[in-house]
Order: sequence, then C-alpha cells, then structure tokens
Amino acid sequence: MAKKKSKEILFDPLFENNPITVQVLGICSALAVTVKLMPAIVMALSVMAVVAFSNLIISFMRKLIPMRVRIIVQLVVIAALVILVDMLLKAFAYDISKQLSVFVGLIITNCIVMGRLEAFAMDNKPWASFLDGIGNGAGYGLILIIVAFIRELFGSGTLFGHKVIPQWFYDHGYMNNAMMLMPAMALITVGVIIWLQRSYMPQLTEKE
Amino acid sequence: MDLINIFVKSIFIDNMIFAFFLGMCSYLAVSKKVKTSIGLGIAVVFVLTITVPLNFLLNKYLLEPGALKWLSPSLADVDLSFLSFIMFIAVIASMVQLVEMVVERFAPALYASLGIFLPLIAVNCAILGGSLFMQQKGFTNVWQSLSFGLGSGIGWMMAIVLLASIREKITYSNVPAPLRGLGIAFIITGLMAIGFLAFMGIKI
Amino acid sequence: MKFDRNSNGYTLIFMTVLLAVVAVALSGAFTFFKPFHEQNKRQEKMTDILYIIGLDQARLQKAAQSKGLSLNYDLIQKYFNQYIIKQLTLDNQGNPVQGINAFEINLKRELAKPAAEQHYPLFIARYNGKTYYIIPMYGKGLWDDIWGYIALEDDMNTIHGIKFGHKGETPGLGANITEKWFEDRFKGEKLFDPNGQFTGIDIVKHWKDETNKNDHKIDAISGATLTSNGVKAMINERVKHYVPYFNKLKKQ
Repeated sequence: MAKKKSKEILFDPLFENNPITVQVLGICSALAVTVKLMPAIVMALSVMAVVAFSNLIISFMRKLIPMRVRIIVQLVVIAALVILVDMLLKAFAYDISKQLSVFVGLIITNCIVMGRLEAFAMDNKPWASFLDGIGNGAGYGLILIIVAFIRELFGSGTLFGHKVIPQWFYDHGYMNNAMMLMPAMALITVGVIIWLQRSYMPQLTEKE
Repeated sequence: MDLINIFVKSIFIDNMIFAFFLGMCSYLAVSKKVKTSIGLGIAVVFVLTITVPLNFLLNKYLLEPGALKWLSPSLADVDLSFLSFIMFIAVIASMVQLVEMVVERFAPALYASLGIFLPLIAVNCAILGGSLFMQQKGFTNVWQSLSFGLGSGIGWMMAIVLLASIREKITYSNVPAPLRGLGIAFIITGLMAIGFLAFMGIKI
Repeated sequence: MKFDRNSNGYTLIFMTVLLAVVAVALSGAFTFFKPFHEQNKRQEKMTDILYIIGLDQARLQKAAQSKGLSLNYDLIQKYFNQYIIKQLTLDNQGNPVQGINAFEINLKRELAKPAAEQHYPLFIARYNGKTYYIIPMYGKGLWDDIWGYIALEDDMNTIHGIKFGHKGETPGLGANITEKWFEDRFKGEKLFDPNGQFTGIDIVKHWKDETNKNDHKIDAISGATLTSNGVKAMINERVKHYVPYFNKLKKQ
C-alpha cells in the first residue's frame, strides 16, 4: 500500500470510504441507539475513542504481538478500553449510559474496531493509526448522527429533547410518525442514505 | 417466565436482527446465497446455545455482586461485574476455538461446510449480545438461559435465511443501480422488521 | 539468540503480562469510579422520590438558585433528609424491622427471595404540612423491567404522585409511561374501596371517564396494552405488601 498522507487517512473514511455505508462494518450497535440525537452522539464519541486508542495501542505493540494469539490480544485491548468507556459514562453521563445499556458493551464486537486493527494498525505507525481510528470513528459517527437527526425530528418532533416542530403544524393535523421510532425505520433510513450517497458517487455502485 | 415463553419470545419478538440489529455485519455480508447463509446460521445457533448458558454460570458464580458467596461468606461484598465484558468475550473466543477443533476432529464433513464460518463468529455481535442480554434479563436458572440462547440463535438463523432467499430472487429484478446490493438489503430488512412487529406481545 | 515472537514461551509470557496489566488497570479504574457510580444511583433515587411528593427538578433548581447554590448531589441529599422524615423497612407481615437500611434495599433482588424473607422499604415524607407515604415498585413490562415510585396521601389511599421508569419498552408506545400526561391520569385515584378493602388500580383501554377519581380505573396508553398490564400488575402487587402495615396505622 502506498503511504497515504495524514489528511487522507483522516478524511477518507468520512465519505468515500465510510465504514458503515461503504465498508459495511459496525452496523450492529449503530442503529439501536439512534432514536434520539443525544445518545447517538455519545455513542459516536465512545466508538471514536475506542477505535483511536485501540489502534494506537496495538500499533505500538505491533512488533511484539505473537501472531497466533493476535485476535485474542486485540479483543483484550478492545474489551479493556470499552470497560473504561463504560465506567466513564456511568460516572459522568449516567442518564445516557442507561439509555445505551448493553450497546456500550457491544462496541467490543463492533467490526469497525477489529477491522481497523487488522487492516491498518497491525502494519502502520502509531500516529497514522491513531488518525485512522479518529477518521473511521468520525465516519461511523456521521452516519449515526444523520440517522438520529432524522429519526428524532420525524419520530418525536424534537431535537436534543427540545420541540422544534411548531405547534401550528400539529394544530393543522401534523402528527409525529411513531413508526420512525421503530427499529425497522432505522434500517430503511440507512438504506436511503446509501442510495443517495451512491447516486452521487457512482464509483461505489455494486456490480451484480 | 417459563421456558417455552422465553424460547418463542426470543425467536419472534426479541429477534436479534429485527429488534436489536445484532450481528448485522455478517448478516449482510453472508446473505447472498441461501446455502452459505444456512451454514452460518447453524454455526450461530450452535455457538449461542453453548456460550449463553456458560456465561450465565460464570455470571452467577463469579461476576455478579455477591456471587462469590459460595466460596466464603466474607467475599459476599465483592463485585466483579466490571469484568463481565472481558470474561464473556474470552469465553466466546475460546469456545469458538474449541468448537472448531472438536468439529474438525470428530465431524470432518460438518467442518468442511461450517468451518469457514466459525472464526467469523467470535466477532459476531449477536453472540456477545446474547450474553449481555442474558445478564440484563436476570434469568433464575440455567435452563432459562439455555432456552434464550437457543431461541436467539434460531431467530438469527431464520432472519438470515429469509433475507438470503429474497436476495437470490431479487437478482432478477431491476433495482436502481445505486441501490443495488447493500442499499436494497437494508431496505428489505427494514420491511421484514415491520412484518415482525406483528408478533409483538405474543404470550404463551 | 534470535528473537522469535511466535515461540510458545514468549506467547505465554506476553499473554501473562498483558492480562496482568489489563487486570490491574481495570481494577484500579473500577475502585476509582465506583463512588461516582453509587452516587449517581443514589442521586437518581432521591430525585425520583422528591419528584413524586411535588418537588420536581425545576422547583429544586429554583430553591437552590434563590440561595445562590447549584443543585448538586450534596444539596439533593440535604433536601431529601429535610423532607423524608422517616425510612422504614417492613417484613412480609407488615411489621417494621430494625437494622436494615430502607434506602439501600434493592427491590429486584428482594423480590427474587422467597416471600417470607422479603423486606419492603417505605419512605414517609412531610412537605407543605402534609404527610406522604412513598412506596418503591418493581415489575415486568412488555419487553423488560419496569419500576417506579408511588406516593400516597396521608389517608394511605389517594394517589398523590407516581413515577415510572423502564429499561426497554417500545419507543412512542409503552415508553410513554414516563410521560407526565400518563402520570397525571393516576393522580387522585383511590387504592381502597369505601369499606377499606384493597382494590388497586385497573388500567382500561379507551376509558373515557377520567374525571371520576373513585372508580379505580384509568385510561391505558393506546397501542401499549401489554405495557399497561405490566404497570397495573406492578402497582397492585407492590402496594399489596404494605396493606397490613397501613391497616395497623389506620386503626391507631
């Protein structure tokens, strides 16, 4: 692989190589936390921190890790970081950590983390790996936040818990779409985002 | 909560895919052919059925606050629950390894069809999710957790096989180019999830 | 000797060191964060209890601001100790038990014990010259656990305030049990019939008669019948534990 510049490492995963819509990684824990904007942002930051720091740590150790047990080593590092994040959230963002419940733990098996460790951190320098982690975390977070924005706006008529749809609309028969709060609509929203993205970036279209 | 209720609920209502989106990565990646999806599905059922009860015992006798009471009453205040993530994932990773070795040794035919999927499973969120949900639900005995693990696995398998059959058929349809593949798979899953809402609230 | 990072000995040493480092780091972090976690849980419980006797967050905030203080854990604890005048632990027969801190009782774990060994916490509050009896509740909703608090007026019959929490009810349907408009439906309803028999609350689909506060019935959340049933069962089963104690108090 040709050496990429820091800027590319950081910004590529935002759109062209987005972990969710292009690499198909990390969808698992992504969608269940997007009913409201606030938990989605916290989740995005948590994932970003875990990817960035596990990339950093593994990259520091990359010459020391015995190849046979590398998956287990990666899992241990990730799990330890996730536990730390979980403790931090429980201590300083208690309400949100309750809403995220098991999904914080599921960052461990979020394929983005493992995927980036295998694909990048195992054979790149620490600083580049750290940037790669930030970039991929941000790309993941971007989709999460877009989905959460749409779901909270149309599902509850609020953003960050504040009413944004004027009462006038409700008086004239507008209703919140409770369907948007259901898991199903998260999937369809992501499907539509992929559709839009690929319409503008035809090079990403899959050939059958 | 009786066993059948937990079982049916975990297949249809608390479905790993349609209600919690767990294991989506492999769900989308391996659902192009019905045959491979059945293989992966069986592997998931297998591993979930083993790891959920195992982690239940681990949780009950080691991790829960006060779980160490059976060792000595003085340990009643020890709370190791902060280690659950790491312990669960360790159990899952080693169980997958063990299952792989056992299957390879005693059932080479099964290994030939399942083997490639097993390593994939250690990082399948549905497996870890199964254990984490088990911990949250506070089952009282190991049979409940067994029934939950088996049911969740079957629910997951059903979801992936259904999606694969739809995707096999959809190759004959004229899907808009940017939507082809991943996009339409998401939307199909969304529509299937809406269908599964019909099962909500079933009690047996 | 050439360094071989795939030898068995090295792998073993590497894993041991890694696990030791991780274990030490995590235990350290856990001991460091534990006080914060417990403080958060206690704060939530105290805020919930103050909320149902009528001291909601906004009111507490205002009271704090008028004294130039910010509403933090210590202040909430101060208000809690000021308004909650008594904390009781009752046994299955409704007799007060000594030596068990009511505030520390974990109701979920308590209810998993055999009935004869269960203990129930009861909080008695005094606010604006009135006495309130506060009962913590715990039960099952459609998907997962639900819990809450109910405050009775000093007749030990009329519902003064109620608050629910849930782990995973359907957003937009069952999850609405935490909304204020649902709480308000309970206010003023009676738990006992005029003869003093415990009747509880029935949550009925499309119950239009919300003004009658003596019918023991309130309107369910449409589309969330099963969550409503869980709420109903939770209220009636949990309050039932306290009936013997209330009967004794009423006789005095």
